[in-house]
Amino acid sequence: MATNREDEDFTGPLRRILIAVLILLLTAVFLFWRIDSPRAERLRAKFIDRFVPTFDWAMVPVTKAIDMIASFQSYTRIYEQNQELRRELRRIESWEEAAVQLEQQNAKLRALNNLRLDPKLTSISGVVLTDSGSPFHQSVMLNIGGRDGIVDGWAAVDGLGLVGRISGVGDATSRVLLLTDSSSRIPVTIMPSGQRAIVSGDNSRFPPVEFLVNPELVRPGDRVISSGDGGVFPTGLPVGEVMETRDGRLRVRLKADYEQLDFVRVLRTHPKERLTDPGALIPPETGGEDG
Amino acid sequence: MVDPLSRARAFHRLLYLAIAALILFLRLLPVNPAGHSFPGPDLMMAFTFAWLMRRPDYVPVLLIVTVYLVEDMVFWRPLGLWPLIMLLATEWLRAREESLRDLPFLLEIALIGGLWFVMVLARHLILALVFSDTVPLGMELLRLLATLAAYPLVVALSHTGLGLRRAAPGEVDDFGQRR
Repeated sequence: MATNREDEDFTGPLRRILIAVLILLLTAVFLFWRIDSPRAERLRAKFIDRFVPTFDWAMVPVTKAIDMIASFQSYTRIYEQNQELRRELRRIESWEEAAVQLEQQNAKLRALNNLRLDPKLTSISGVVLTDSGSPFHQSVMLNIGGRDGIVDGWAAVDGLGLVGRISGVGDATSRVLLLTDSSSRIPVTIMPSGQRAIVSGDNSRFPPVEFLVNPELVRPGDRVISSGDGGVFPTGLPVGEVMETRDGRLRVRLKADYEQLDFVRVLRTHPKERLTDPGALIPPETGGEDG
Repeated sequence: MVDPLSRARAFHRLLYLAIAALILFLRLLPVNPAGHSFPGPDLMMAFTFAWLMRRPDYVPVLLIVTVYLVEDMVFWRPLGLWPLIMLLATEWLRAREESLRDLPFLLEIALIGGLWFVMVLARHLILALVFSDTVPLGMELLRLLATLAAYPLVVALSHTGLGLRRAAPGEVDDFGQRR
């Protein structure tokens, strides 16, 4: 009994001090995160950089197994799929002919126009490592990072359309904030009418279109492309098409295939030149300095 | 010599860490980035509280704080806030562990649900107070309900699968210390 009380007396205050120190420490961490967010995020990126790739070896078999189950499920209706593919192939053959003709025409027109696509727009491809998404945060990790030259804010696309933007770069990993995340805001142009708007994620699969001046000019099915306003994104990346929900709100059906995000291309974007000079007076040429 | 009681304790602490790692791992799997429309249960939270209600000495403070800090880091949440709230909540429960030992299971669920609600609300308020991004409260509550629904399963699993029993009288004292 005596030893017991000793034990208590000794651990009681010590424990209380430990708790107090922990509380102070955690509060400090939270305040640090809030006050110096960029540095905290850099620390976080560094931590994940070290921590997540160690999971990689274990993740590959599990992911593969899940993929296999998914493809097994599709085997069950392989006959219908085959028929469907045949039909599609026949349809596409005719399209191919059209595409070849269009390509030739396009080449001719380009030659006439002396058009050059932006030569600075190159890309780096990465593999999706993990998905740290939840109903609250929608983001994926890529296996490319600072050492591959990734910079915060660059656009990430898959084969079909815009996926999101880089937000958080570690040395060997980087995080892509998906367009559906509630903190994602992308300036877009809605195509036939040329209206500017913002696609702002709200954690649902179809992010709403906001800040539209004339909603009546927009119809479901209109193309949505990135507008490049704000200088973060390149112009003209396909985002998706407009759809109207039952309550009359306009949302975007995203082009990118979020269900199967395996490979992602990150577009190198270079900061645009900015006009900072308000424009000075052009003085008349004095001439005759030398004469 | 290592007596069986402290061996069991060390084993269960490691087990807690292993469960935390497994849950983290499963949540990180790149399976379906966009498929989360309904929030699943927060299993880690259910495990932590289930264990805390049964054997507080198996889940020491440092372990809880470490696990939740790592979770914060990996899931891009505000750093430090949720571990702080967890710490306060678990300490509050720990101090009352003695009086709660004979609580019927339904009351236990109600108590924990209420506590979680307060925790979620506290986080929401603090984040709003510092003008940080908050997630919709409705989502949080849905998730809370899912976690509560999973709680009995987690308790059953801990009880049968992982050998988690309430301490027998005389095994520990009020402070979770071994006699």
